[in-house]
Amino acid sequence: MKNQSQSHHRTLERFQVSRRIGWFDRFMNHFIVVGGLMVIAAVMGIFVFIFLQVAPLFHGAEVKLLSRHKLTDTVDSVVAVDLDEWGELPVLIQKDGSLRYRDLKGDRGIIENGQVFQAGETLSSIHYNSLNRLLVAGSNSGRFAYAKVGYRPEYDSLSVRTVHPDVTRSDWFDLSGKGERILFVDYGEGDSNKLAVGICLDSEGNRHVRAVSLEQDLSLFGEGGKISLGARFDLTEAIDQAIQQIDVAPDGGLVLIVAENGEVFVFFNQGGKLELGQRFEPFGDLPDRRVGGADFLLGDTSAVFTGWEGENRVYSLSLDRDKGKRLYARTKEFEPMPELPEGYFPGVRNNSFLLVGNHHASLRFSTTESIRWQRNFEFEIIRGLIGEKYDRLGFLDRTGTFHLFHLRDPHPQAGLRAFLGKVRYEGQAEPDYVWQSTGGTDDFEPKLSLVPLIIGSLKGTLYAMLFAAPIALLGALYTSQFLHPKWRDHVKPTMEIMASLPSVVLGFMAALWLAPLLDTRVPSLLLVLLGVPCATLACNWCWGQLPHRVRTSIPAGLEFLLLSPIILITCILCWKAGPLAEEILFVVTNPETGERVADFRLWWPEFTGATYTQRNSLVVGFMMGFAVIPVIFSIAEDSLSNVPKSLRSGSLALGASRWQTAVNIVLPTASPGIISALLIGISRALGETMIVVMATGNTPLKDFNIFSGMRALSANIVVEFPQAPFQGTLYRTLFLGALTLFIMTFIINTMAEVLRQHLRNRYKAVR
Amino acid sequence: MKAIRKNSQVSGKGEIGVWFSSLGLSLGLLMIVALLGVIAYNGLSVFWPKRVVQVEFDPQSAPDLGSRSAVAGIITSQKVKSQESPEEWRLFVGNKDQYGISYSYFDRDSLLKVTQPEDLLVLERTAYGKAIGYPEHISGPSGELVSAEHPEFAERLGSLVRECQDRGKEIRKLETREIGAIHEALENLRLQQLRLERQSELSSKDREALEKIEKERARYESLFTTLATQARSLRDLQTSHKLQYRLASGEEIDLPIGEIHRFFYPNQIGFWGRAAVFCNHIKEFLLSEPREANTEGGVFPAIFGTFVMTLFMCVIVTPFGVLAAIYLCEYAKDGVFVRVVRIAINNLAGVPSIVFGVFGLGFFVYLVGGTLDELFFSLRLPTPTFGTGGILWASLTLALMTVPVVIVAAEEALTSVSPGLRESSMACGASKWQTIQRIVLPASAPGVLTGMILAMARGAGEVAPLMLLGVVKIAPSLPLDNQFPFLHLDRKFMHLGFHIYDLGFQSPDSEAALPMVFATTLLLIVLVVVLNLAAILIRNRLRRKYQIAGF
Repeated sequence: MKNQSQSHHRTLERFQVSRRIGWFDRFMNHFIVVGGLMVIAAVMGIFVFIFLQVAPLFHGAEVKLLSRHKLTDTVDSVVAVDLDEWGELPVLIQKDGSLRYRDLKGDRGIIENGQVFQAGETLSSIHYNSLNRLLVAGSNSGRFAYAKVGYRPEYDSLSVRTVHPDVTRSDWFDLSGKGERILFVDYGEGDSNKLAVGICLDSEGNRHVRAVSLEQDLSLFGEGGKISLGARFDLTEAIDQAIQQIDVAPDGGLVLIVAENGEVFVFFNQGGKLELGQRFEPFGDLPDRRVGGADFLLGDTSAVFTGWEGENRVYSLSLDRDKGKRLYARTKEFEPMPELPEGYFPGVRNNSFLLVGNHHASLRFSTTESIRWQRNFEFEIIRGLIGEKYDRLGFLDRTGTFHLFHLRDPHPQAGLRAFLGKVRYEGQAEPDYVWQSTGGTDDFEPKLSLVPLIIGSLKGTLYAMLFAAPIALLGALYTSQFLHPKWRDHVKPTMEIMASLPSVVLGFMAALWLAPLLDTRVPSLLLVLLGVPCATLACNWCWGQLPHRVRTSIPAGLEFLLLSPIILITCILCWKAGPLAEEILFVVTNPETGERVADFRLWWPEFTGATYTQRNSLVVGFMMGFAVIPVIFSIAEDSLSNVPKSLRSGSLALGASRWQTAVNIVLPTASPGIISALLIGISRALGETMIVVMATGNTPLKDFNIFSGMRALSANIVVEFPQAPFQGTLYRTLFLGALTLFIMTFIINTMAEVLRQHLRNRYKAVR
Repeated sequence: MKAIRKNSQVSGKGEIGVWFSSLGLSLGLLMIVALLGVIAYNGLSVFWPKRVVQVEFDPQSAPDLGSRSAVAGIITSQKVKSQESPEEWRLFVGNKDQYGISYSYFDRDSLLKVTQPEDLLVLERTAYGKAIGYPEHISGPSGELVSAEHPEFAERLGSLVRECQDRGKEIRKLETREIGAIHEALENLRLQQLRLERQSELSSKDREALEKIEKERARYESLFTTLATQARSLRDLQTSHKLQYRLASGEEIDLPIGEIHRFFYPNQIGFWGRAAVFCNHIKEFLLSEPREANTEGGVFPAIFGTFVMTLFMCVIVTPFGVLAAIYLCEYAKDGVFVRVVRIAINNLAGVPSIVFGVFGLGFFVYLVGGTLDELFFSLRLPTPTFGTGGILWASLTLALMTVPVVIVAAEEALTSVSPGLRESSMACGASKWQTIQRIVLPASAPGVLTGMILAMARGAGEVAPLMLLGVVKIAPSLPLDNQFPFLHLDRKFMHLGFHIYDLGFQSPDSEAALPMVFATTLLLIVLVVVLNLAAILIRNRLRRKYQIAGF
């Protein structure tokens, strides 16, 4: 009995898991589940992270109220409001030329700056240009002066900033020359031009449009030269309509004069002359042609017009091919405002502008033709402003209260339209897809169309596939169906090694070895392309003529061994014969000397009109072939050789030849696998980076010319990312490029994978 | 019977198709053989010392060389551009300090005389690349001369060069290791001081510490001066002996022996002598540091950087990859989720590497690195420590990039372990984890290894993401060295692949750099091909093993 229980006990012990092992087992089970899921989540997290980086590009502007301040009781005397760079000291500009500041940060309260213009003149007109912060005043005696409404920061020992007004006033200059009263005057100054244009009223009640240019003495030390009167112009004759508004470009290069009937007169200030260059009607196609208002955008080439019904259009200067000069043409059309906008306020950092009318305010961005933000306020807006850093919005309402808003809109240039649509940038004759992310000047607009890059990627892929697909598929077919089994074991690893060649090596070989080699020998290459298939045909025919005895002496499946030396010899012969072919076929006559030159590089542009560069798509396609061929080959070969034996044997037994079996039985069965192989090849070529970076000129082109370069999405990232500021628009746009690549390859790969699964199921069914 | 077989074999319908399809294979194989051949030929010929010729010509035919009428050089190419123009020779003329160019072009017709003088000497210098000329004499510090005609001239020169090289090593040790360590210590002191000074109030203890820091600093600085004087006196010795040589074009030049790296008489040495120089060159290429903006010397730092990065990547990727594979294979219940995950992982292996690079820069460098800097290295800001590309982020990103490869390979290996093995293990009473640990994992180890090697090969050859992640042209120090904490994860590093890109495309004299690029390319290819071959061999062995081991 005891014995029995002991043995029972022993059995239990034998089967009982030690506590330690049990714990460990349970721990490992959980650890693996959690760990495995985490690894998978981390890998998927890449997509999420990239998406999060891209998302802000598509957000509109965020506007939040910061504070409200009572600035004045008499709004009728207000000309404009403006704000310093830091948003601390708004200024109210009044009709008598006085400035009233309000300290928002410190305890200085209201700072009255008194009248800017004095010196014994009576002001008869006053106008404020917010783009260049110039206050322009005209007087009863026909003279004008301007003042720069600036700011000056001061830092104390603890680096705490106090902003002070900094107003500099010019002398008075005689505009009319005849002592007439000035009704309106505007002034603009750039590096080369300083121009004032105004309307003067003579003693008989006639209005004259007068203009005067100012000249500054050149001084060796900075800007200190003395300013004196230059040429005088009388524009009255040239304008046969009643004048509504005058706008001098901030750089003084031209003046727009809007007539009451809706016509706009453009005078260009060039070579010491002020001449009427263009007359146009911005709203000529509408029932009500009148112009509500006109003003310039940053950069002096674009002007924003508002129509009588609230329509909003942007006209920009661009080169008119027919007339050979720069003219205004409509470039943008915005959604109309609910009613005629009363105020227009341009941003000084980018192409944004603010339109206000009654209770409605709308922040718009010219480049992308988009409304960044709009809102109906409960108060009636009479003036507005965009902060200097594009980070503040300010509104002055009817009661004299200033509403300061925080503006957060880090990527105004972005948007689906900018990335994928045709955009007409300043200076372009027509809308186009352009990628040009950086430029030399401050008012440069980043041009962020992804279309040329996508075209570049597709172009590289196309030529790589044109070259690689036939070779890889034929090779796979031969290897799986006809090749001697002994050789098959060696061919596959060789191809796999080819797949592992680092792309930097291929890129280097393409750019520094193949491109210079092919540069002068394109005809040779064409001959090779032609000669190799011919040689194969000839070889096959000759082989067929040989007696059976000879043919059977070599086992089937070794044709390629026989063919290889022949191809090699053909290649060498064709290569050598290239220059001969060039002399016969590709001859260009030099129009000046009448000399005939045999050079393909000259012949191609002359014959097709397309360009020829040394690092071209042909080179890229060829080298990318090295990367793509093994990928396509191994997948296609796998799916071909996995076709169930029974199908092949059946076909052969019924008397079909090996080629008939391969083409009619094996190929159709494995076709999903072949398509999947091609798809994987395409995805590999799309994502290929180093070859494209090294072997093309990286110019964003939009053509499919085989003898020109391109810039692919992937290459673009490598080229531009190091210069992209963290979380800037370019940075996020490059992320968008990466996301595009990711999505494209992911979709293609998924399609390929699904096809392969489908194929696997089909094979299962056959078995 | 025999006749029928013959018939079916050779004259079936569509033989032409068969021939055409064999064209695909032939072309594919020819292409790869040709490419590898070109790289191997160009890569190896860099190291082979070639004969040097002296050419005499009309000064007007070679305006690059001024009014010189003779020059010695190595013929690097002879080609006919078109049928009318004569053969064009490209000569590597060296002596960049004198000529300002590395290569000169001549029409064969314009050359008056081509000779191969026996006594031409090739000098590999530490600056300005190679010099080619006739040795005249060696002058010692006290004016004693050994003429080139002296029978023991070559031996004397050799022993002097060796002596100088040993001294050079000593100088380098002094300057990089010891003085470098002092700099490191001084920087640490500076940071300590900064940390103390940032506190609003200093306790007496802090003041003491500050004084101590001052003392330490003074000590290090005096140490620095002694070491620096020592190094300077050694440097002076390097220039005490001088070699005078005469160029083929007539200039006479005095070269301190310390600047000579190696010398040989290219037209005197026979095949074995050449082979010795060849091996020496290869040794130098593999083991020494680059000189002359990477166009001369070796690629050791690049090899080392590639190695450390790949290894580090491997250390990260393998456990995670295997973990995920074990989960997918042994734990996850087959369903829609697992199927989707499997497809997604398969796809991720095909996502372009540059996408991972962008992710690595945005996530690891800017987000994680930036945060780490703010938390732990705020004293060094604005100089980033981890907030910039470095070997850690590069390895992590590549690990993320290759993790799908490892998961796929490991899962394949795990599923191919026969269920019988598992069941018998369970039947013997092993727990699930014990089964995995003792039975499944060992049986699938070769498969996992294959995945690992494939990942390594991919990681070693990848360049595009690294360009965003801290790979540099010249790294001042290796990521692994004898300074605490030995493995410097924040350091930038060199990489063979990037070396190729940088030398070939960003180098000021890309023509002179080309041989070096070919050599580096060959090395990289050999590395990657060896890794791949290893993977293939292991896989083949594995397949055979399973064929036998199947129940």
